[in-house]
Amino acid sequence: MNYPLWEVPFLGGAGVIGIIASIHVFLSHFAVGGGIFFALTERWAFNSGDNRIYDYLKKHSLFFLIVTTVFGVVTGVGIWWAISLCSPNGTHTLIQTYTLAWAIEYLFFVTEIATFFVYFYSWDKIPRKTHLRLADAYAILSIFTLLVINGILTFMLTPGGWLTSRNWVDGFFNAAYVPATGMRLIGMLALAGLYALVTASRLRDEAFRVRMLRYAAKWFLPIFFLGPLLAIWIALILPQAPLDIIQNGLSTAASGTFSLMARAMVLSVFLSAALLLMVFVGPYLNARYFSPRAAAALMVVGLLTVGMMEWTREMMRKPYVVYNYMYVNGIRKDEIPAMNRDGATAHARWIAKDLKGEALGSELFRAQCMSCHNKQGYRGMDKLLGERDVAAIRGLLQVMRETDPAKSPYVKIMPPLAGTDAEVDALAAYLSTLNAANRKNEPQLAQR
Amino acid sequence: MANPTAPLSTVFATIATWVEDRFSLNELKAMGAKKTVPVHKTSLWYYLGGVALILLVIQTLTGGLLMAHYIPEIGSAHASVQQINNKVEFGWLIRSMHSWGANIMILALFVHMFSTFFMRAYRPPREITWLTGMVMLVVAFGFGFTGYLLPWDEVSFFATKIGVDISSKSPLIGDILGNLLRGGADIGQGTISRFFMIHVFVLPLVLMGLLGLHLMMIQFHGISEPEGYQKLPEGEKKREPFFPAFMLKDAVVWLLVITGVVLLSALAPWGLGPEANPYNPAPAGIKPEWYFLAMFQFLKLVPPHVGPMEGEQAGMVFFGLIGGGLAMAPFIDRGHNPFIARMMRLFGIAVLIGLIVFTIWGYMS
Repeated sequence: MNYPLWEVPFLGGAGVIGIIASIHVFLSHFAVGGGIFFALTERWAFNSGDNRIYDYLKKHSLFFLIVTTVFGVVTGVGIWWAISLCSPNGTHTLIQTYTLAWAIEYLFFVTEIATFFVYFYSWDKIPRKTHLRLADAYAILSIFTLLVINGILTFMLTPGGWLTSRNWVDGFFNAAYVPATGMRLIGMLALAGLYALVTASRLRDEAFRVRMLRYAAKWFLPIFFLGPLLAIWIALILPQAPLDIIQNGLSTAASGTFSLMARAMVLSVFLSAALLLMVFVGPYLNARYFSPRAAAALMVVGLLTVGMMEWTREMMRKPYVVYNYMYVNGIRKDEIPAMNRDGATAHARWIAKDLKGEALGSELFRAQCMSCHNKQGYRGMDKLLGERDVAAIRGLLQVMRETDPAKSPYVKIMPPLAGTDAEVDALAAYLSTLNAANRKNEPQLAQR
Repeated sequence: MANPTAPLSTVFATIATWVEDRFSLNELKAMGAKKTVPVHKTSLWYYLGGVALILLVIQTLTGGLLMAHYIPEIGSAHASVQQINNKVEFGWLIRSMHSWGANIMILALFVHMFSTFFMRAYRPPREITWLTGMVMLVVAFGFGFTGYLLPWDEVSFFATKIGVDISSKSPLIGDILGNLLRGGADIGQGTISRFFMIHVFVLPLVLMGLLGLHLMMIQFHGISEPEGYQKLPEGEKKREPFFPAFMLKDAVVWLLVITGVVLLSALAPWGLGPEANPYNPAPAGIKPEWYFLAMFQFLKLVPPHVGPMEGEQAGMVFFGLIGGGLAMAPFIDRGHNPFIARMMRLFGIAVLIGLIVFTIWGYMS
């Protein structure tokens, strides 16, 4: 709690990160998968001497350049911007722990982009064999960017040995590293195929268009065969808490956060399957009639799928930003006892020390709840608190101070509330103003 | 019987021959290949019927699964739906798909009806296709109306009460209709039983017959062509075979529709209000489902007496005239008189705008 707080009405900081990150993943995975796509497809063109494939690749590379270097890079920087504003403590931890890894990542990344510019501007200007080597170089460099960043991403959910040794290498090569990297890699191949469908569907010559569409569709084969296996492998590594929540959520989904993870999971699995089927019955079986409009529709489903999967992964990590080490609200697990003793405000550099009542409650809400909850909107408190009055809210908050799963169902998905009794009362007083509108004695309408 | 050591291709060929000898699938294939779909800038509308069909498939499958757990008994109905929502594995998903699917299906039917209307696909020889479609839209309303009561929560109870009260105001048959629907003096066990029976037995049977006829007529007359396309010289008319090309495109659209329904169901699952208590006062601001809103709103505006009739009766007569006017379209606009065709189009536009305006108005008020 050493940083000022950034407030985003309605959407919340988490929502901002989520939107930017989903778009970025959709583009960055294309950048890596596309690298492999260029290398293999250009090899095919080189060996067969087929100029039509060369022409197609040239067109595709312009689209690729714009999408990855402009939108991919902007959203990549956008993630840094959003996470350092919304989750400064978490970002701080990642930078401090992985300084060297980040440096290596940037090195690969800058080289990768530079290589692609050379690749793009040297079409027909250098010997074809040399150009092919550039494609290989780009593919290898872009795969390395994945290999580096995925160590840090998987560390957040399964930090493994790092928790005891605090050695970054232990955190980097954690249990989920291999299956998650494999999963991303086959996802990248599929996305490369998906983008290739867009450009291939615009080809004029029907026979060649059919050929390229069927070729692009085949890029979904690795994820079709390996995806389920890697998913099972990842499921075996996951912490028990999210698995329990998913298990419960499959039968209970009336409402609330408890079932959201299960619903997101169901949706991720369903969307992936639906997309695979669409690629099979569309561009593969019916390439002749596969239109750019249909390709655009598939792209939308692809973006949804990626967004859903990333959302599920983020939710599984709840209540932590680094599992078993730091909570989503930036409070470290080992700070909680001291905060309960001295008060949360005593450990927060950016909260005035002499606040009382609702003003204090408001600050506590910003510091401890706002990383996930908004006053209204996405995970809005007005909705979640329902018709509870101050006393009921206080009772709920007392339950949330528990750290024992047997005593509080919230432990699995929310950080424990830290602070003194007086602070909890102040927070309750503040929260009761957020749902005041719900406490009119009006008949309840059916919940949707 | 094929020799077990024979190569696989021979085995397959044997199986294929066996199937062909019994089912003559090649004839079907030829039939599908003969049927072509015109390709033009408004071809998109051709998918709407298929969209409604896949939604019907979703409704049938999810409805069947719901029936395995639903109890049409006044003391258990609400609890059994709650059980589906909270205890049955994936029950929430199936129920939400059924609810969302129902709403999207009715929306798709509206779009399907108006798009075929404005493309003048009702013109002879397609009167029967048009009429069966119109009746099926009414059947879909019936499905919505009867299914809405079954969870027996507060809102569904009172919305149904209003609906039945309005129906019993129909001219001539009002009282009979009201008693038939209620199954007694008040909405209660009799109503649940009847609505359940209508919802899972009567309407599906009626729909099956009508749908068979509807699809048969499309097979007979082919896909309708808009006027501009008809005027093209034969060489410029782009077409694609229905099977497999359009069928596979349809499959992509169907997958998109299923995806949409699952997406909505997972992100916004349907909850359940408190159990209905007939002795409670109706909750304030109770409204019927959105597809009845326009009628509901219109009835609110009608004065209590119009000439010799009660206001509500007059409203019902008015709706009947509009529905009848739409249904009669193929007999009025037969494609010979451009003035009548223009009038018909204006009538359709007026109905569409009226529906949209009154629905939004009903929603806002």
